[in-house]
Amino acid sequence: MNSRAAALRKARDSIPAEAGVGLRFRHHREVLESHPAAAWFEVHTENYLGGGSAPACLDAIRRDYPVSLHGTGLSLGSAEGSDPAHLARVREVVERVEPGLVSEHLSFSVAGGNYLADLLPLPMTEEALGIVCRNVALLQDHLKRRILVENPSTYLRFRHSTIPEWEFLAQVTKRTGCGILCDVNNIYVSACNHGWNASEYLAALPPEAVGEIHLAGHVVKRLDGGRVLRVDDHGSRVAPEVWALYAGALARFGPVPTLIEWDTDVPPMAMLLEEAAHASVLIEEAKNGTRRALAA
Amino acid sequence: MEPAAPSLLELQRALRASLVSHDDRGISAHIVDVGISPAERLDVYRSTFASVLTTALRLSYPAVHRLVGAEFFEGATRVFIEVHPPRSACLDDYGEGLADFLSAFEPAASLAYLPDVARLEWAVNRALHASDAEPLDPRRLAALADAERARVSFVPHPSVGLLRVDHPADLIRRAVLEEDDDALSAIDPGAGPARLLVQRLATGVEVRRMSESAWRITAALFAGWPLAAALDEAPGTEASALLADHLAAGAFIDFCLNETSD
Repeated sequence: MNSRAAALRKARDSIPAEAGVGLRFRHHREVLESHPAAAWFEVHTENYLGGGSAPACLDAIRRDYPVSLHGTGLSLGSAEGSDPAHLARVREVVERVEPGLVSEHLSFSVAGGNYLADLLPLPMTEEALGIVCRNVALLQDHLKRRILVENPSTYLRFRHSTIPEWEFLAQVTKRTGCGILCDVNNIYVSACNHGWNASEYLAALPPEAVGEIHLAGHVVKRLDGGRVLRVDDHGSRVAPEVWALYAGALARFGPVPTLIEWDTDVPPMAMLLEEAAHASVLIEEAKNGTRRALAA
Repeated sequence: MEPAAPSLLELQRALRASLVSHDDRGISAHIVDVGISPAERLDVYRSTFASVLTTALRLSYPAVHRLVGAEFFEGATRVFIEVHPPRSACLDDYGEGLADFLSAFEPAASLAYLPDVARLEWAVNRALHASDAEPLDPRRLAALADAERARVSFVPHPSVGLLRVDHPADLIRRAVLEEDDDALSAIDPGAGPARLLVQRLATGVEVRRMSESAWRITAALFAGWPLAAALDEAPGTEASALLADHLAAGAFIDFCLNETSD
């Protein structure tokens, strides 16, 4: 391979510090036929575990775009440990796709041998920290690469938690060398639900560990008596408060690959690209800010 | 009084009981209840658990879903999910037991053909997500001497499946998915058994009806019987055309030679 071809290949491999879009099945055909101007795509690893048309589409899309794999089933917080069969399937997808980034969640989804189909909250304890670190290290060894771990949206906290979530996450990166996928919407949702200060959460994360940012919409669930819970349903545009928090995140972390996620009532690609364009403007401002800081 | 702190394993199993069996006794006391009760907080997770799995089942069983309607489907699958929660994070693999569940599900007893439609949809789902594999190049078979060919045992493609159903589930499924009410009302649900071949082609998953003799030979071939022995299952059948069809459809990915042909 000559150097120009190698450079092109590399450009298609690594995830750029630009705005990407979460790719769902309904957009496969459109992406293959009209090559929308997305900087990169991210898919849910668990949607591509077998054979057939979905993985074949992803292979074709991967030839033209950098792709990130975002897992939802490895259950990094399970006391029972990781499911070796699932780990093996995920590794097959990673080997097939050669993604620019691989990520999972700070949560659990397997207990008593059952997959509970959600990203469930962990108690923030020393015991849980040890178990998460063990599972993250195992996963990184298995995949022979660094992964990113995403902060979750949560709707409950446990009484026996002793470590703030942001410190827990910082400890996981420190002990395992993994990176952080900073979901700004999740920080906002959890901060509102638990009375945390979202800006302080951001400020507590080690900037050098943040390898990706997620943005998505959430819904306000109204309970009786005027009480509310914010629920991370990925079913609408990014909220104005989350855009504001995102600007703060870029100011702290510098330009970072940023993903627009939309999973409920997935809209046309054009609307996802509009959201990505909004993120791009803020990323460009962050790049200019970094240049100014370097020049000073 | 503060409850004793549970181990992570205990806590996770208690949350499992809350989501799967709606039993909050082991978990509520450990949840911070400021402003919003543990039950209201758990409801958010319970709702996601139920809706994600119901959606997974609806995607795997679209004809069953349309036959019984959304409300009935949701009611039936909620019971199914509680009895058979998933054992793997690969949701394409979830729902295998739905046909057997439906055949014992009293409210669906009047729809005798429903479990067969579910059985067929599961076979289609399996074919859809089965591993990829390169089909056998027929020239490899053509290069063999006749005596060798009789001793060939084939390896079937991971996506092929055979199914015998008591009701015309293939006709019902097609009419339902094509929303062809005239075709649906013309079907006699008691019109005897059907033998079906399900396989993934480049164009999608195909469900093909087979004669009893072709089905028996195919079943023997898929089970790895030597070619001569498989053909003996139904002497007089147009076996060479059947074999050519299977090869053209990529139903086999490899073969080996047995010591003897039977």
